Amino acid sequence: MITLLKTFISAALAGLLGLDAVQAGQFLFSRPAFVGPVLGWLNGCPLEGARLGILLELLYIDFIPVGGVVPPNGTAAAAVGVLAHSAGGLPPSLSFFIGIAAGAAYAPLESVLRASRSRLNTLVEAQVSSGDFSLRRWLARAMLVENAAMGAYVLALTGLAALLGLLPGLAWLYPGADFAYSLIPWLGLSGLYFRFRAQIYKKG
Amino acid sequence: MLFSMFLRSFFIQAGWNYERFQNLGFAFSLQPALEKIYPDREKYKTALLRHLQIFNTQPYMASFVLGNIIRMEERAAVDGGAELKTLPGVKQALASSFASIGDRIFWGRLKPMTAQICLLVWAACGFYGWLFTGMNEDVPVGLLLAGPLAGIAVYSVFSLYIRWKGLVDGYACGGANNCALDSANWPRLIRLLSAAGFAMSLAIVLLSFALLAVFNCVSCRPGDVLLKLGLPAAVLALHRVLRALGRSVFFTAGLLLIISVLLFSALKLEPFRLYL
Repeated sequence: MITLLKTFISAALAGLLGLDAVQAGQFLFSRPAFVGPVLGWLNGCPLEGARLGILLELLYIDFIPVGGVVPPNGTAAAAVGVLAHSAGGLPPSLSFFIGIAAGAAYAPLESVLRASRSRLNTLVEAQVSSGDFSLRRWLARAMLVENAAMGAYVLALTGLAALLGLLPGLAWLYPGADFAYSLIPWLGLSGLYFRFRAQIYKKG
Repeated sequence: MLFSMFLRSFFIQAGWNYERFQNLGFAFSLQPALEKIYPDREKYKTALLRHLQIFNTQPYMASFVLGNIIRMEERAAVDGGAELKTLPGVKQALASSFASIGDRIFWGRLKPMTAQICLLVWAACGFYGWLFTGMNEDVPVGLLLAGPLAGIAVYSVFSLYIRWKGLVDGYACGGANNCALDSANWPRLIRLLSAAGFAMSLAIVLLSFALLAVFNCVSCRPGDVLLKLGLPAAVLALHRVLRALGRSVFFTAGLLLIISVLLFSALKLEPFRLYL
């Protein structure tokens, strides 16, 4: 019961922190490096949360949100990764790879949400034309929808991860997943190194 | 007025949409100033509708455009609207220029640097658990949070400064096509950040390999040490090659998972750790 409650709180918190990525603030509280240890702490596994978070961060910094591109979502990745481990009972290695997939799969949903906000333009213009100048409630509504979508998504994916954990014979995967997970820090470091190396040695 | 706009600019992307991008947040940020400039409700309405049109730039750099536009609106209110003829062009030109600068500074450099700062803080405090995934240590939660928070603090100080400076500088020189583009030596700043980022990357990679060597040196079996230093180097090389072929980092991660599952789950090879 406590695990369920913590999972609900964590999903809601992920939704709230997720707003920081695009809609409110952009202080980087939505980054996996922060979401991971916070949710890990809340769910009794701060070390695994921090580890999952920073490793996801190292892979996710490869994606840049320029020109309206919707990159894979790091908040969803970290939240689902941590909760798949703490609530779903999966090992950190498998939770990490589930987190990667969850973050990548959230991008199309985010695109749909952004597309759905286009219709607000006509509504807002009509409202302003009629003499009501309040824009605050439209922005609040947009953020509320995004928050709810992220929370529901994290909950749904955590539920799926928990169901996956019940599959008989899943332990067969663990040695391979554990070994791949042990190589991920090096993959992340590689991304970090080559990102800046390319900037330094770029001609022109 | 400027402070109220500064606070509202944190929500410039709250209504981001594919049709007009940041228009809702931009108009929302301008509202306190427009209200003051146009006490007449009809003029205020026209001004607000004017800024509900398409707008897109880098969110932190938007404040340069906000400041500029407010100064132009102030002049337009005095000169009867002549200034408004050039307003859309100036707005568009500045949005594009500042987007290009902001993307390079914030997304391309400062954001990855927050992860580097996090790793360096952890390393300075003796926590290496992120590098050795099977290692279970007793680490204080404060330290685990201190790493990412240090990165966020550095990033936020810089982004808040730029947001405020943009608003003030943009307001000071409003109306010009190149307004505030010279308020900093952007190319120099970009080069400096690249150099700092590269130096930190290099330090972290070298430290990681040194740690791996130290952890494995205990066994003093050359074959073991070579394998365990060679594997991470092979991962770096694999990523480099796949990156050159246009594959994302997720592809490389997936490939590592598939190969590992084949070797250690399907073929049942004896799994080993990268450290002793």
